[in-house]
Amino acid sequence: MAGSGAVKTRVQRVGGFATLPWRRIILIILGATIAFVVVVGSYRTLTLPAAERYSGDFWVDQIVNGLGQGAILALIALGYTLVYGILRMINFAHGEVFMAGAFISFFFADAYVKSGFLNSNPYFSLLILFVVSIVGSTVVAVLLERIAYRPLRNAPRLVPLITAIGASLFIQNAFRGFFGPQPYGYPLPDVLAGSVELFGIPVSKVIIMVFVVAIVSMVVLQWFVHRSSTGRSMRAVAEDSEIASLMGIDVDRIVVVTFIVGGVLAGIAGVLFSLTFQQVQFTMGFKPGIAAFTAAVLGGIGSIGGAALGGFVLGLLQAIGPPLLLTGFSIPSPFSIRDAFVFLVLILVLVFRPGGLLGSGEAEKV
Amino acid sequence: MRPAMRVGASGGIVTIFLAAVGLIGNFTNLNLIGDQVTFAGLMLLIAPLIAGYVVTAPKLESGSLVRVDRGRAAILGAVAGVVAGSVFAAFVVFVDVFGVERIRAIFLNISPALMDFLVGERPVPVAAALLVAIAVAAGIAGAVYRVLPDAIRKPLGSAVWVTLLFGFLQRIVPIALDQLDIERDWLYSKTTRGLTWVGAVVIALVSAGVSVLKDRKGDAIRRAVAGRRSREAEGPKLTPLSFVIALAGLAAVLVAPHVLGSVISEVLGTVMVFALLGLGLNIVVGYAGLLDLGYVFFFTLGAYSLALLTGATLNTFVGSTAPAIALDLNFYVAIPVVVLIAALSGVLIGAPVLRLRGDYLALVTLGLGEMIVVLVTSPWLDPLVGGPNGMRDITNAAIGNFGFRDPKHFYYLAFAFVVLALFVSWRLANSRVGRAWTALREDEQVADAMGVSTTAYKLLAFAMGGAIGSVGGALFAVKIGSLTPASFTVLVSIQVLGIVILGGIGSLPGVLTGTLVLVGLPGLLREFEEYRLLAYGGALVAVMLLRPQGLVPNVRRSRELQEEDREQDKWAGDVAADEHVAAAASPLGESAG
Repeated sequence: MAGSGAVKTRVQRVGGFATLPWRRIILIILGATIAFVVVVGSYRTLTLPAAERYSGDFWVDQIVNGLGQGAILALIALGYTLVYGILRMINFAHGEVFMAGAFISFFFADAYVKSGFLNSNPYFSLLILFVVSIVGSTVVAVLLERIAYRPLRNAPRLVPLITAIGASLFIQNAFRGFFGPQPYGYPLPDVLAGSVELFGIPVSKVIIMVFVVAIVSMVVLQWFVHRSSTGRSMRAVAEDSEIASLMGIDVDRIVVVTFIVGGVLAGIAGVLFSLTFQQVQFTMGFKPGIAAFTAAVLGGIGSIGGAALGGFVLGLLQAIGPPLLLTGFSIPSPFSIRDAFVFLVLILVLVFRPGGLLGSGEAEKV
Repeated sequence: MRPAMRVGASGGIVTIFLAAVGLIGNFTNLNLIGDQVTFAGLMLLIAPLIAGYVVTAPKLESGSLVRVDRGRAAILGAVAGVVAGSVFAAFVVFVDVFGVERIRAIFLNISPALMDFLVGERPVPVAAALLVAIAVAAGIAGAVYRVLPDAIRKPLGSAVWVTLLFGFLQRIVPIALDQLDIERDWLYSKTTRGLTWVGAVVIALVSAGVSVLKDRKGDAIRRAVAGRRSREAEGPKLTPLSFVIALAGLAAVLVAPHVLGSVISEVLGTVMVFALLGLGLNIVVGYAGLLDLGYVFFFTLGAYSLALLTGATLNTFVGSTAPAIALDLNFYVAIPVVVLIAALSGVLIGAPVLRLRGDYLALVTLGLGEMIVVLVTSPWLDPLVGGPNGMRDITNAAIGNFGFRDPKHFYYLAFAFVVLALFVSWRLANSRVGRAWTALREDEQVADAMGVSTTAYKLLAFAMGGAIGSVGGALFAVKIGSLTPASFTVLVSIQVLGIVILGGIGSLPGVLTGTLVLVGLPGLLREFEEYRLLAYGGALVAVMLLRPQGLVPNVRRSRELQEEDREQDKWAGDVAADEHVAAAASPLGESAG
């Protein structure tokens, strides 16, 4: 309901607090500090004495792992960006949609590994895991939309966000109630164990699968949004839902489709994530959820290409950033602040470039 | 008929959900009244009961509300009950046929204890029929409750409600009665631990009586107020009677810890800390309309800076060492410094992010809250704040030899600060600053155009809110005497937000109510600890869906919400002019106006 393209009026104020450009000053200090940390930190890290320096292999490993996680983040981020594009709301519970798929597929994976089916028919059982995970995530996403979000379609902006936070907490703890608080070990089929040489770099097979599956999913999504008739309706609703409804598009249906698409992608990401880290727990959705949201914002929220790009960039930043910037200042165990690093990126993007890498100045609108 | 079946089916699914998360199976021994009314039994009834109540909601027909008549209500309730019961019974039969142990391998809480409670010795078909019958009874009860005349409905409702509440407080009320040397065996049984039937009947009768009295008196008071308003447009007059009542209330609050004992005082201390946090966040969210999801930032900042200022030491494996910065100030000297630090950092972190639109601001603040937690845990700040091991030997804020660590003493310290924060919030709300915040919240662009410096007032809100929150953190440190990062998680932020929202955004009585409900009740009901966050999440969603203005709404704020409603209804009406349903479906806007 926010008036689009509203012009901000600046009133000349006299005297005191308001005249000094506080914001500008603080921003400049902040920017200078960051530039200093980046330049000096990476310089010192890379020029450490040879014995303490990270080897070239370490960086290659970091880059490959980072890109692999970036692919997963990108899939989740697409869910945020699609919903945001249609409804202009942040689906805070999307991380839980992802968790639900991963968790449900675990019970199948566990049963298959116990019966030996996972290793005797690895491709078929992986396919089943994906299907189960997709179904689980989609069901949660659709229920979420139907019960928690649809009644609030026209409510003031912050109301659905608060609802989403509540829903996130609720889903998390419902899963805790169903399956218990302990983490479960997710089995890895033998075909995915180990690594292969690609262009002279050893890459683990899981990461290769993550890449292939993620990229195929994104291509299919691109086709769906741009070529199918439902996709065209989705774009129309994202452009202007009132006009779209006047043109005969069933907006409710499109919103449900959007949540389904987001759920499908989150379900795929759920299996990929579980295979990468080989663990599921009821809290597993929170951090990837926030990171994926950051990725969506980084790429420019509302833009599909942006979310994909943001995912990969954030995955890389997360893998390389802490060791590159912090080791030089001899800060112990730089990886322990990886999660804080995600938030730092989120804050910096929103402060300095709220539109993201590919977006416009959307976030500045009131 | 169709809606009744649909609602009934949802009720059945909800009951299955309750069973699957363990709210039925784990509480078969929690007796509320006698050993017949258990919490598990209540959970079995609750969904069909609500389903029956929902399906008999008055309907809108050609612009006026039509109430369902009694016979039809009972039928609708019965239908909802049958469907709900059948769905759940089908689930029970399925579990029984499939084997409870096999299902338990995945759903941990679908346990033999649960099946024992649901099926027991009976053959399965009989047990299923019994479950359906119970659900039908509950559905009819819910439906009939809706269509009862008000004169019966209200006392009945409050009787049931209050009796169950006393049933829940079985760990607390007996302790308080013992403390006061009041004979309590007639009220709470020592064998079942719950209420006795005699006690339950007495409580029900008393609460029904109070409800009837309040109804009559309430009418008289409303009439008197209406009469006075016409004569003088002043606020309420301080009559001798209300003065006496206020004094009695104050006295009750002051002697509470000595009457109620350490256990309850401890819970009350936590309530006070969270009330402070709620009051602080209320300034940011309620007054200025900025959604802050990282309020734990100020809580942490307050706790750790107080610890550092008053000479706390770092935990190590062998004992304790002094932190890198060790000051040894008195608590009462340190508090203003803590407040100043918090206000300043509120401005510092606020400045770059306050230009962002509402939901982005929320996520950035969430990030800031997470970052401070990571920082206090990280080995980097270990020499200053002790990393994961935390700090100990925090001051007990003693005046002379009178320390405040003891829960009974801490209560008074926290109470003093809550009163102070209440006073500040109340004065702020009606000041020039408060009006500026209101303008900002309602329409930022108009406020800006009217000459309200939006940035300055947003920063002020952040600083004020942060200052009050940091006092909450400092008191928390005093209360527990040692700090570990485990106490400072994003859940604190969400808990405080829940308090402000459940109570009613921008409403001071609302913050206190919200704290009592969301912090006090779970503190007293320890056996539900596992389900606290589930209930939190559910409560946040339910409040936003059903009562966005909160339990004790701020008058102005709820009017705003209604206006928004009306505007949306108008918009919906314009768009769907030919669909008269959309135009008529605005009971909220019309009945409230």
